[in-house]
Amino acid sequence: MDRIRAEINNDRRAFIKKVLNGTIAGSLLLVIPAGASEVAEQLSGMRAEQSIFTKKRFAFIVDVTRCIGCGSCCVADKLEYNVPDGNYRTWVERYIIDDEDNVYVDSPDGGLGGYVEPRKDIPHPVRDTFFVPKLCNMCKKPSCVQVCPVGATFQTEDGFVLIDKERCVGCGYCIQACPYSVRFLNPETKTADKCTWCYHRVRKGLLPACVNVCPVGARKFGDLDDHESEVYKILHLPHVVSVLKPGMGNKPALHYVGLRREVV
Amino acid sequence: MGDNHNTHVKWVVGFLTMAAILGLIVKKVLVPEGFGTYGHYRAGAILDEFNRETRHMTNDSCLSCHPFIKEMHLEGIHRTVSCEFCHGPYGDHIRNGKKVATLPVKKGEEITALCLRCHNQIIRARPKESIKMITMPDHLENKKVQTDHNCDQCHNVHAPLMYVKQAREMMHMSSREDK
Repeated sequence: MDRIRAEINNDRRAFIKKVLNGTIAGSLLLVIPAGASEVAEQLSGMRAEQSIFTKKRFAFIVDVTRCIGCGSCCVADKLEYNVPDGNYRTWVERYIIDDEDNVYVDSPDGGLGGYVEPRKDIPHPVRDTFFVPKLCNMCKKPSCVQVCPVGATFQTEDGFVLIDKERCVGCGYCIQACPYSVRFLNPETKTADKCTWCYHRVRKGLLPACVNVCPVGARKFGDLDDHESEVYKILHLPHVVSVLKPGMGNKPALHYVGLRREVV
Repeated sequence: MGDNHNTHVKWVVGFLTMAAILGLIVKKVLVPEGFGTYGHYRAGAILDEFNRETRHMTNDSCLSCHPFIKEMHLEGIHRTVSCEFCHGPYGDHIRNGKKVATLPVKKGEEITALCLRCHNQIIRARPKESIKMITMPDHLENKKVQTDHNCDQCHNVHAPLMYVKQAREMMHMSSREDK
């Protein structure tokens, strides 16, 4: 009797799952043609993906040695999401290291207006300067998901850490838990908000907005299962590749090329 | 006698049943639809994120309607610069395939300010292999033009070296004489 009941339950679960998958996939199909179809696919094969989770392994790579700090990415990000003033889903930091090995970091308005003024408060000759773009690290073991008390922050099977605006109660635990400080409380929705690697664009075959606008190719996005992709080649060739705060154990999927030791 | 001896058991069973029913109703009300389908979250949240409006398109989508600009932009060294960075997002211009507004065209000092976001030598930290840098107003003085000139008076913003090359050709200057 118990065995039969278990089987029925199992069947029921599978059935519900199938129906739900069907409806969600169906609604995806309805949505895809609008807006995106007239533009060539930037991420090949994404428009053919019909399941709720793609089978791809996405990676985001920031090349610190290329970034010129123009702030195109910040502008695109703000306009794509209408981010309220004073909050940043992505931002660009300027690092200056002087001859005495002092490190100066600034990011006026998150780099949104670009870097137009040199820093004048540095007493010693400057040894090294560079820009570091920051965004969500899309950790494989996200601490923000772990602490959310209402299941509003979650990780999809294809690696995106997303926020459910309907569920979020704005308690701010995730904002404190994120080792990379990428989360903020959106003053308009009163919910947690952060970079999504442009999930909505990626699923429609477009690159994240910041990757799309970067004039020097400092931001790269692609599928690690595609061995011809730029991200695969960078991660599998002898480049100086590292992640931020590896000691936190969050296993970020965001990698940096040419990251200096001073960057936190 | 009869049934009276187990009244308290009935009370307990009745209470527990009511509690269970109440619990189920509360759960039904509080737990949103689709919660737990894929994990400890609402399945519809993925769809919500998916359906977010795409406000930026690609350079190809802009240039498909602007053939004259396309020719210049793709020829020049600014071909990697995004249209939407200077002009604003596609979504402000086209909605459902129809033009809804005209994007502003930058003029005069706005252009110089945009140019200097990338090309300002004073901001060190810019890798030479990525981009050519200039110092203002030294650049204008070196080129022997008035120091109140804006960049677009010599450089086509879409193809910065187009006019410069054309001028050199006209003057039969084959190689670059400047530093």
